[in-house]
Amino acid sequence: MLETLFNVFPGIGTLFVQEPLIAFARLAFIGLGFLLAYLGFKRTLEPLIMVPMGLGMMAVNAGVMILEGGQIGTLIISPLVSDTDALMNIMQIDFLQPIYNFTFVNSLVACMLFMGIGTMADISFILARPWASITVAVCAELGTFVTLVIGYYMGLTPNQAAAVGTIGGADGPMVLFGSLIMAKELFVPISIIAYLYLSLTYAGYPYLVRWLIKEEHRGIEVEYDFPDVTPQAKFVFTVAAAGLLCLLLPVATPLILSFFLGVAIKEAEIEPYQKLLENTVTYSATLLLGLVLGVLCDAGTLLDPQVAILVVLGITALAISAVGGIGGGYLVWKLSNGNYNPVIGIAGVSCMPSTAKIAQREAFAASPHAMIMPLAMGASICGVIVSAIAVGVFASTIGLVN
Amino acid sequence: MNIIVYAATSYLITAVISFAVIGVIVGISKLLSDSNA
Repeated sequence: MLETLFNVFPGIGTLFVQEPLIAFARLAFIGLGFLLAYLGFKRTLEPLIMVPMGLGMMAVNAGVMILEGGQIGTLIISPLVSDTDALMNIMQIDFLQPIYNFTFVNSLVACMLFMGIGTMADISFILARPWASITVAVCAELGTFVTLVIGYYMGLTPNQAAAVGTIGGADGPMVLFGSLIMAKELFVPISIIAYLYLSLTYAGYPYLVRWLIKEEHRGIEVEYDFPDVTPQAKFVFTVAAAGLLCLLLPVATPLILSFFLGVAIKEAEIEPYQKLLENTVTYSATLLLGLVLGVLCDAGTLLDPQVAILVVLGITALAISAVGGIGGGYLVWKLSNGNYNPVIGIAGVSCMPSTAKIAQREAFAASPHAMIMPLAMGASICGVIVSAIAVGVFASTIGLVN
Repeated sequence: MNIIVYAATSYLITAVISFAVIGVIVGISKLLSDSNA
C-alpha cells in the first residue's frame, strides 16, 4: 500500500529512500526557496532574481523522482553530465538543459547582462572627476584581494579563493564569469551566494556608511565641472578603452567586449539595439540566470562543507570592499582639500546603480544640497571596469601561486 | 609565488591598468576637444 503511494507520488516517496540528511536538506531548501521568492515579492530582496530563483529552488528539491535505471533525479537539469552522447540524450529530456549548456557554462548569460549594464553606463559621468572616480574604484576592490588571501588560508585552492574573491567586485555577472573560468566546481554556490548578498547590500550598506562617515562629511557639497564632451569623443574612447583592455587581458575579452559594446551602442545612439539590450536582452538574461541558479540548488550540491566557507568569505569580501571604498573616498577628500564627499566611496564598489543610489540618498539625508549622483555614477562605472580588470588579472595569473 | 605577494602584486597590476584606461579616456577626450577648438 505504502509502496503504491510512493510510486504515485514519487516526490514524497523519494524522501524515504534517500539518505535522511539529503531528505531533510531537500525539505529545508523547499522552505528556503519559498522564503526567497516571498522576500522578492515583498521587495526585501531583488525580485528580478529572487522570484525565479526561489521557485526554481523549490521545484528542483520537490520534483524528485526515480528515473530510468533506478537513479534519483529530476526532469529539470543534470549539471554533472559531460559525455557527449549522454548530453545529447539528456537535452531531449531535461527542459532547462539546453539553456544551461548553451548559455550558462560558456558565460553567454553573464555577457548578455554585461551588454545591458553597458547601455546603462553613461561614460561622461567618469569625466566629471576621472582620477577621483578611478581612485575610489581601485580602493573599493580591496575586498577581492584580501578575500583571496583569507580563502587560501581557510583551505581553498588558489583558483577557488580567487573565484570567491571576485564577490568583492560586487558585480553578479562578473562573479559568474570568474567562477566559471577559475573554479567551475564551485560556480553554483559562489554565484548563488553572490546574488543573495548583492540583493542585501541595498539594505546593509547604508548602515556601514553612517557608521564610518561623520554626518558633517556625508553632507559635503562637491564642486565639479561637468565637461562638455561630444558624442564622437565618447565613442572614440569607448572603443579605444575596449581595444586596450582586450589587448592586455585576453581572458576577460568576452566580458570587456560585451560591456563596451553596450556603451558603444548607447553612445552611437543606435536606438533599436539600445532598446533591445536595455529591455529584451537584459531581462531575458536575468530571468534565465535566476531560474537556472535556482534549479542548480539541489540539496546534494549545497550540502558540500565548502559552502559554509563561501558564505563567510562572500560577506567578508563585500564588507572589506565597502570599507576600502569609503577609505578611498576619504583619501580623495584629503587630497582635494575637502572638495569631495567620502560617501561617493561606497559607489566605487560598483553593483551599479544600487550603490550610487545609496550614496546619493545618504548624502541627501545629511544635507539637501549635497548633489553627488553624477560623481557616484562615475565611481560606480569605474568600479565595473576595475572589477573586470581584476577578474582578467586573476584568470591570467592565478597559476603563478604555489 | 607566495599568496600574499601574489595578492599585493595582482592588486598593483589591476590599479596600474585601471589608471591607464582612465588615462586613455581622458587623453582622447582632451585630444578631440583641442582639435575641435
